[in-house]
Amino acid sequence: MEDKIAELMAKVAELEASSGVTNTMFAETYYYLTIPLMIIIHAGFLAYEMGSSRAKNVLSSGVKNILAFAFMIPTFYFFGWWVYWGFPTGLTFSEGAMGISGSAYASSIAWGWGDSAQYMGPNIADNASGVFFGAFAMFAATTASIMSGAVIERIQTVGFVILAVVLGSFAWVVAAAWGWHADGWLVTKFGVHDFGAAGLVHAVAGFFALGVLINLGPRIGKFNADGSSNHIAGHNMPLTVTGLMLIIVGFWGFLMACVIVPGEAWSWYGDKMSTIYGTPITLSALSFNILMAVAGGIIGSWIWTKDPFWMMSGALAGIISTASGLDIYYPALAFIIAFSAGVILQPCANWLERRGIDDAVGAVTVHGTIGLYGVVMLGVFASGYPALDIVDAPTVSLFGQIVGAVVFFLLGFVPGYVVSFILKKMNMLRVPEHAEVAGMDTTKVPAQGYPEGIVASPAASD
Amino acid sequence: MGFPYDEAAWSVVDGAMFMGWGTAMPGVYTFIAAAICAYVLWAGNKSEHKQFNKKK
Repeated sequence: MEDKIAELMAKVAELEASSGVTNTMFAETYYYLTIPLMIIIHAGFLAYEMGSSRAKNVLSSGVKNILAFAFMIPTFYFFGWWVYWGFPTGLTFSEGAMGISGSAYASSIAWGWGDSAQYMGPNIADNASGVFFGAFAMFAATTASIMSGAVIERIQTVGFVILAVVLGSFAWVVAAAWGWHADGWLVTKFGVHDFGAAGLVHAVAGFFALGVLINLGPRIGKFNADGSSNHIAGHNMPLTVTGLMLIIVGFWGFLMACVIVPGEAWSWYGDKMSTIYGTPITLSALSFNILMAVAGGIIGSWIWTKDPFWMMSGALAGIISTASGLDIYYPALAFIIAFSAGVILQPCANWLERRGIDDAVGAVTVHGTIGLYGVVMLGVFASGYPALDIVDAPTVSLFGQIVGAVVFFLLGFVPGYVVSFILKKMNMLRVPEHAEVAGMDTTKVPAQGYPEGIVASPAASD
Repeated sequence: MGFPYDEAAWSVVDGAMFMGWGTAMPGVYTFIAAAICAYVLWAGNKSEHKQFNKKK
């Protein structure tokens, strides 16, 4: 009898170990797969920026975008990852209640030297750090790409890369530490809820771009002497629209990476998925709400503009306007909010343009304005929801969401304005007038986008 | 609208957790969303025909 019990116990232990391995492999694979999906976002941004550029600037826009992506990854490795873990409790760098924040904790897991280096490289006992780092590095690269589109056709390459690094490996990361971390002070004190990063990724990047645009100035020919503006059409609208659709595809990976899977030592739950705040979520919730939001944004933009560029931007606006609450919105409500975002999109962009801001792709509006709109809308509809899954958790409130929106605006706009102002003084911000007029491909890129022009091929003869 | 349960804690949630659950609001939102779709089709068709007539 005792032998039988011992045998059964051994089998149970074996099964438990086996299911643990399966769970760990699932968790690692889950986040690993979000990385290529998020790279599709960058394929989309690349296509959309190049399509929105005139033919004389098409490759330089591409070079800038690709380079921002490349610099984001090592700089996020060097210090961005540390910022996320070190900053949550504010500028005190102290440890929060959950014990996963503060300078000491960050220094123990996120530096590429000393003991912490074991979590920053191949480690057979660590299936999590690399895939989490990868997902966050892709979030960082997304912020840089958001800013990248706004400044096309007149920015210097190195100046732009410096701005991208400040945004992607610092500014948005501070916002994430404060509003997207279980110890973040915006969460623990104000109950800020921003599941899909409408504020801490999109609004921060959008308003960072606004700060840069003020110092960068408009493209030559954008505004007339009387202050009226001219439309500068990109050379390839189909490429732009396809790029925007690719961004939508990549967003599924982006939002999937905002979910914490169950059953691991670092998970909130053993049996269900959660948000980064430990509040429950399902992928079904995301599926319902993302699809309804995409549809609402497109429909809202179509009724106002009839323009495929704004319709696909409306799809993005639909997701961004509901991103804060994709875990808890009712799908029809997500549709209504996204529809409203699609409707207000172009009027908001026009309002900005009338103030002399030349945002080549509408990034400030789509990501900045609509991002903050989404953060505040969640406060309107979700007040009373517990912001964290802990005892006596603060609840989501309109006031808390407005505080979050203000902080996200400042974390974007102030560094964007200050760093671009310094670069301007150092003559590292804007290309010389003759280069802009000639076309930046001619002056910066040793290749041609369309060496044969765009010619119609003769039809095949019988 | 807020949290659909009496106690503001996730431990009491064992099912639907969206805003408006347990009230008439999901139906109201669904009706509004459907009405938006119908209105947009009507207005879009009207606007398109206006353009057709302009280009005659």
